[in-house]
Amino acid sequence: MLAPSIGGLQKTTNYRVVLPFYIYASLGFLLGTILLWFGTEAVEAHHFHPKTLAITHTMALAWGSMMIFGASHQLLPVLVEGKLASDVLAYLTFGFTAVGIPILVYGFYILDMGLPMQIGAVLINIGGACFLANVLGSSFGSDRRNVHAWFVITATLWLLGTTFFGLLLVLNFRTPILPSNSLDYLSIHAHMGIVGWFVLMVIGVGSRLIPMFLISKYTDERALWWIFALLNLALISFMVLHLCGVPHEFFHIPIILGLSAIVLFARHCYRAYRVRIRKGVDRQMKTSLISVAQMLLPFVALIVSLVFLPQGEFPRIALIYGFCIFFGWITAIILGMTFKTMPFIVWNKVYRNKAHKGRTPAPKDLFNEGVYRIMLYCYLGGFITFVLGMVLPNRLVLKAAALALLLAAVLYVYNVAVTATHKSKQE
Amino acid sequence: MNIKTNNNEKRDLALQGLYHVDDPEIGLNIVDLGLVYELDFDETDRQLGCLMTLTTQFCPMGDAITSDTFNSLSSSFPDWEVKVQLTFEPPWHFGMISPEGREFLGR
Repeated sequence: MLAPSIGGLQKTTNYRVVLPFYIYASLGFLLGTILLWFGTEAVEAHHFHPKTLAITHTMALAWGSMMIFGASHQLLPVLVEGKLASDVLAYLTFGFTAVGIPILVYGFYILDMGLPMQIGAVLINIGGACFLANVLGSSFGSDRRNVHAWFVITATLWLLGTTFFGLLLVLNFRTPILPSNSLDYLSIHAHMGIVGWFVLMVIGVGSRLIPMFLISKYTDERALWWIFALLNLALISFMVLHLCGVPHEFFHIPIILGLSAIVLFARHCYRAYRVRIRKGVDRQMKTSLISVAQMLLPFVALIVSLVFLPQGEFPRIALIYGFCIFFGWITAIILGMTFKTMPFIVWNKVYRNKAHKGRTPAPKDLFNEGVYRIMLYCYLGGFITFVLGMVLPNRLVLKAAALALLLAAVLYVYNVAVTATHKSKQE
Repeated sequence: MNIKTNNNEKRDLALQGLYHVDDPEIGLNIVDLGLVYELDFDETDRQLGCLMTLTTQFCPMGDAITSDTFNSLSSSFPDWEVKVQLTFEPPWHFGMISPEGREFLGR
């Protein structure tokens, strides 16, 4: 049989590169919720608590970052208007980070700043460097670099900055290499990761994907450049203010800059939603849009802590702030986007050569919609109840909420497994 | 859509097949979506060219949609050489959807 004569088609990333990240991330989410369920009492302690650190790094690395690695390997061709530079670098990224993350998390769990944490941190840095090389190779291998590509490039640079700084902090516990104690730099390390890596990456990718999946032609590159500048300014000004040790009132500057960026992004999504071509919006897109609203919650926690609370209340607010970020918007956007992107990847793998040779299911039929709905209710119920449990604070409420989140993770893993193992019935 | 043939039978046969080629994400066929710009029947060389677009240049289902289009035309015209060419000029927009397609999308 002759090869089909089809011209002008963009090359997509091999599914073998992407799926391992998705599967690993789903297990990371499960581990994060298990650790949360067993470690709810850590909520009453300072945020530098072994269990809190283990949960945070599981959610940030095994869940959020691995999922973003997977999705961005798939979406880089879309974002940089070119093709993925290297499959080998993608496999190396997976290999180093997949081994490094559990070692690092174990190091945090037993709070051993020695070999486990150091080896884990070094492996994650090597994995991050491989990812950066792939992002740069893909971006500069293409003639055009749009605003989305700059979001991805900058976010990846911040990621490597975060992981390298994290490694320095780990080493600094044993051998003083930084001017102050590692604990003094924790908020800088955390915000480099949260704002520099997660927020920039999610907005860079989301500003392209949300209109695309809503079938909306809305685009406003100028607004996206503003968001890009505001977020980077917010982060840099926060770091400078923190290092200079200025009074707390000055921290309103980065908060206002960051909040303005988030409001602009919410406006971008709303406008794309208003001019969408398809009237009906599926549950996965609704989940993703909810996550945009959830981005505002951490700012509420921050403003409350700065304006209304005495200094002694700060550690508890810091935990609510962190929870709203990792179990709030990062988790919500991933829950939604997993079942928008993964079915496409699997559908292309299973059906791309079977198209028009019998009835094929739609990508949305590759996962269990009923299970997704229950997962969403468990997740939203668990998230809201957990925040309530932290505010009160009440151990029973926290345990019940953590159980709901664990159930959501089990249902999520089930649906990921259903999608990943989908086979054609035509055979 | 520009169809370069005077043979109504061939035109109908091609369209009949293409009406069964759906964008898997939207669930609407590519003819009503306005993705097919041109069908060019070259009777002399028995070549059938299909110039089409996608809703976005980086549509993740682009590969499947173009393969499906190729398979549809190839099965309708087994003795013809079929060529599917993608273009993004002019870019696809909402105005290209047929009234039937808009009704399907709830617009």
